[in-house]
Amino acid sequence: MSLDDQIQKLATEALAQIDQANGLEALEAVRVDVLGRKGSLAQVSKDFGKLATEERAASGKALNAAKQKLESALEARKQTFSNQALTERLCGEWIDLTLPAPRPRPGSLHPVTQIQNEIEDLFTSLGFAVLDGPEVETEYHNFDALNIPAHHPARDMQDTFWLEGGNLLRTHTSPVQVRGMERLGPPLRMIAPGRTFRNEEVDASHEHTFYQVEGMMVDRDVSVAHLIYFMKTLLSAIFKREVTVRLRPGYFPFVEPGFELDIRCLICGGPGCAVCKQSGWVELLPCGLVHPNVLLMSGIDPDQWGGFAFGLGLTRLAMMRYGIDDIRLLQGGDLRFLSQF
Amino acid sequence: MKFSYNWIREMVPGLDVPPRELMRLITTKTAECEGLEEVGGALANASVARVMSVEPIGEGHNRKALVETRRFGTKTVVCGAPNCRAGMLTAYIASGVKTIDGVESDGMLASGRELGINSDHSGIVELTSEELVAADSVIEVDNKSLTHRPDLWGHHGMAREVGAITRRPLRDPVRLGLLPAAPGVIGVQIDDLALCPRYSALVFENVTVQLSPLWLQYRLEAIGLNTINNIVDVTNYVMAELAQPMHAFDADKLRGDTIFVRNAWPGEWITALNGEKYELAGSNLLITDSAGPIAIAGVIGGMDSSISEGTKRIVLESANFQAASVRKTSVALKLRTDASMRFEKSQDPLNTVRGLARAVELLQQVSPGIRLVGGVSDRKAEFKPPAPIEVTVDWLNRKLGRKVSAAEVRSIFESLEFGVRETASGRFSVTVPSWRATRDVSIKDDLLEEVGRMIGYESITPQAPLIASVVPPANPSRLYHRRVRAMTAAQGFTEVYNYSFVSEEMIAPFGFAPSGHIRVTNPIASDQTMLRTSLLPAIRKNILDNSRRLDAFRLFEIGREIHPRGEGLPEETPHLTAAMYERHGDGRAQLFELKRLAECLMRGCEVRPAAPRPFEHPERAAVVGWRGQEIGRLFEFHPSLGIEGRAAVLDLDLAVMERLDDQEIRYQPLRRLPTSAFDLSVVANVREPAGAIERRMADAAGSNLAEIEFVREYTGAPLPEGRKSVSYRLTVGAADHTLSSDEAAAIRNRVIEALQREGFELRI
Repeated sequence: MSLDDQIQKLATEALAQIDQANGLEALEAVRVDVLGRKGSLAQVSKDFGKLATEERAASGKALNAAKQKLESALEARKQTFSNQALTERLCGEWIDLTLPAPRPRPGSLHPVTQIQNEIEDLFTSLGFAVLDGPEVETEYHNFDALNIPAHHPARDMQDTFWLEGGNLLRTHTSPVQVRGMERLGPPLRMIAPGRTFRNEEVDASHEHTFYQVEGMMVDRDVSVAHLIYFMKTLLSAIFKREVTVRLRPGYFPFVEPGFELDIRCLICGGPGCAVCKQSGWVELLPCGLVHPNVLLMSGIDPDQWGGFAFGLGLTRLAMMRYGIDDIRLLQGGDLRFLSQF
Repeated sequence: MKFSYNWIREMVPGLDVPPRELMRLITTKTAECEGLEEVGGALANASVARVMSVEPIGEGHNRKALVETRRFGTKTVVCGAPNCRAGMLTAYIASGVKTIDGVESDGMLASGRELGINSDHSGIVELTSEELVAADSVIEVDNKSLTHRPDLWGHHGMAREVGAITRRPLRDPVRLGLLPAAPGVIGVQIDDLALCPRYSALVFENVTVQLSPLWLQYRLEAIGLNTINNIVDVTNYVMAELAQPMHAFDADKLRGDTIFVRNAWPGEWITALNGEKYELAGSNLLITDSAGPIAIAGVIGGMDSSISEGTKRIVLESANFQAASVRKTSVALKLRTDASMRFEKSQDPLNTVRGLARAVELLQQVSPGIRLVGGVSDRKAEFKPPAPIEVTVDWLNRKLGRKVSAAEVRSIFESLEFGVRETASGRFSVTVPSWRATRDVSIKDDLLEEVGRMIGYESITPQAPLIASVVPPANPSRLYHRRVRAMTAAQGFTEVYNYSFVSEEMIAPFGFAPSGHIRVTNPIASDQTMLRTSLLPAIRKNILDNSRRLDAFRLFEIGREIHPRGEGLPEETPHLTAAMYERHGDGRAQLFELKRLAECLMRGCEVRPAAPRPFEHPERAAVVGWRGQEIGRLFEFHPSLGIEGRAAVLDLDLAVMERLDDQEIRYQPLRRLPTSAFDLSVVANVREPAGAIERRMADAAGSNLAEIEFVREYTGAPLPEGRKSVSYRLTVGAADHTLSSDEAAAIRNRVIEALQREGFELRI
């Protein structure tokens, strides 16, 4: 048997052994037997010296080819084993991801907080400052400075919680207008969201504690057209669609002229339905041009400056947004309700 | 306030806008209409009828009547009314054929209630003329939107609006010529003309007190006023028409011949028309005769001098009272009447005699033979006509944001009966009519509203203002609260809103003194009498309520504590109160979860044991601090609070935290040199706070301590009872060189020695 034939035979046998090897150890044994320093191929190469130069070269080539072939077969087989081992390990690592995540479950923000954040961001993007005022107010800031003197019948429009000592719980966020004008001076753009109080019996649609956002802009030459523009822009952003608004006369002593702003009913779009009481319009917010007396009382010259102001019910907006039909749920502290938001 | 469509149409002849459309127009231009009610619906099928003959049928009260109707011819009807008699004039309704008591009845004779014109159902209506009233529509206007409009508390004022809106002329129902020029026969003496700017009165004799004719009853009943008798009904009719409240006294029951308007004297009282007795205070303005009170001015009349069947002579009062005075009295006596509601809107003092003139005309219709005695007694303050208001078309245009022509402006003012004079091109001098001048219209901005509403705000095109683009001033507190909210919710807490009110019962378990709270002087409910000085009482209630349904939960509130502070406004302190509840378990994990929340909100905050407050678990109460400043408390509620299970609470003062949190962050260079670490285990009494041991270690290790980390706590064998071992890993390294092993060992020894000096045992 020629050397070449021997090489071929050894290689064929070794390939078969590699194929049959049942693990990394068996594979290593085959490698040592065939490719090792004392392995069968090494033995064969010892006989090279007996060969003629040309033959030696040819056999050397064959030997190298066989070695390479075997090495790659070994490598491939080894890869198979390690893949198998990895697969086996991973198989044992099954996890049931349908099990619940460990506690805590995510908490949630109150629906009014969420609406309020949204409105604050919206107004901030339009250059309005967000201001705060006290919940306990002086009679002056809540009424007098807003052109509602003592014994004015307009005080009836806002049933007031009076406190011992003569202060009161603010009946609207409008006093922050006054504080804003006193602090910032003109020109100014501001909103004031917050908790307000009216001495009213609580039922499904009335609360003595509710949330409002007051807004105001004071600048040169502020017109009704500007007010309508702002209201339309803001309400379209709030309701996330184009809204149609209309102004009609409304009486609020701190604005002149004063308006009730209605929006075209978002449910029926105009023909009339139960929500809009068949009128096609839903009363949404009071607004108006700031009364010159209010500007004067806050040290602003009404001949130089004008402004508009509006009040938006955050509680009402939250109820509209989330379809909440009982206002009492909002301050009821029931987690079954609150965790839905 | 309810308005009769027919009544308005009387004063706006030819008005052809149907009621529903009129309602829409009034809403968009004048005041908010809330509803429309059809009254007298049965009148469409009704006719005046004369009863020709009546004959009994059977045993019952029903009788057969032959009637001659104006619209439907002669009919036979069955009628059970006791007043049904031959010759009477009544109303017939063509209601169809029905057999009653064996007799075929073709239609029916109707009571006032059946016709829908009054509430009388004692018999069929008695008509005095061949006229039957017509069906009407009643428009209800929101009173709030009439707060500033004294004139709109009467139909004539609303008719003026309707005339202006529909561009039709207004008819004035008042004929001043009916008032005789003779002097008045009753004296009037007013103490304070500021409280009663005008008092006008007329005396009548030969008065017949009887039921009002049907048309008058119908008018009043349709707009929700009760009918009493012809005299009282006329005063109410004038009030509803002209917004001028009136009162009729029985002249023969008055003592003396002078009416006084003065404040009440101590101890005076009056029994009012409503049958109630009122103790009067010095601030109450009265109408009196020489013997005492006969009416509370502008609010209600007295019982003793009221009109009765036997009344023969009357004194008719038509006065003007100061709005604030009437309002104060009405509020103090808790008595709101149709009169007080009108007076508190500041009525027009020029209207008193108009009211009298109208009453003369009506009384002559409803009380045949009535005679005036003398003329008007009229005491009044001096009225200065209001100064004209200057306004330019240019200014109106700028304020409205649209062009209005001078001609349009003039026509609007004229339609509302304002005086207009164009003093220069586009410049008007406007005189306010007396009925709008009492409070409603006094500056040009008020005129702006008149123009704006009449041109219609829908005619104004929205327009973006040209304004400087500036970053608005920041509100750091609000942003801080927002961050706290978001973080707390992210840690699994759900936000609740609680009321700002507490009751003594709510704060009692906490041991808070009621005297430390601000009281509400007019609370709406007995459990909402004071303002909260802590969020805890309501949080406890949240826990009690929710624990009925849930075994475990987390909730929080951000709200203001309101603390009295001597003079001025109270101190409002924003707090975060977070609570965790578990029905089962030892409560340990909850406290640590809350501690983690505190650490998330205020990095580097420390929790130190503190003396428990009465509502805190005595062994689970701590102060939360930051660099020595107290920022809040962490504790478990005491079992005495009645919570089944355990609730832990973190209560933080957000004002203090925000102030402390306002630290600029300066970056520390990253350590380049290697560090080394060693562990130390300290044996101490079980109740020795680990935090204290950690602090001692850190202090002893000195400035080269890079980090100290808790490893474990251990109790049990081989440690004796009452002892524990606490292990820490200390990592040390210097900023400028690598510590040698000797240097590291020196630090370790220093720590060990320091602890040993303090009596701790180390397990080395």
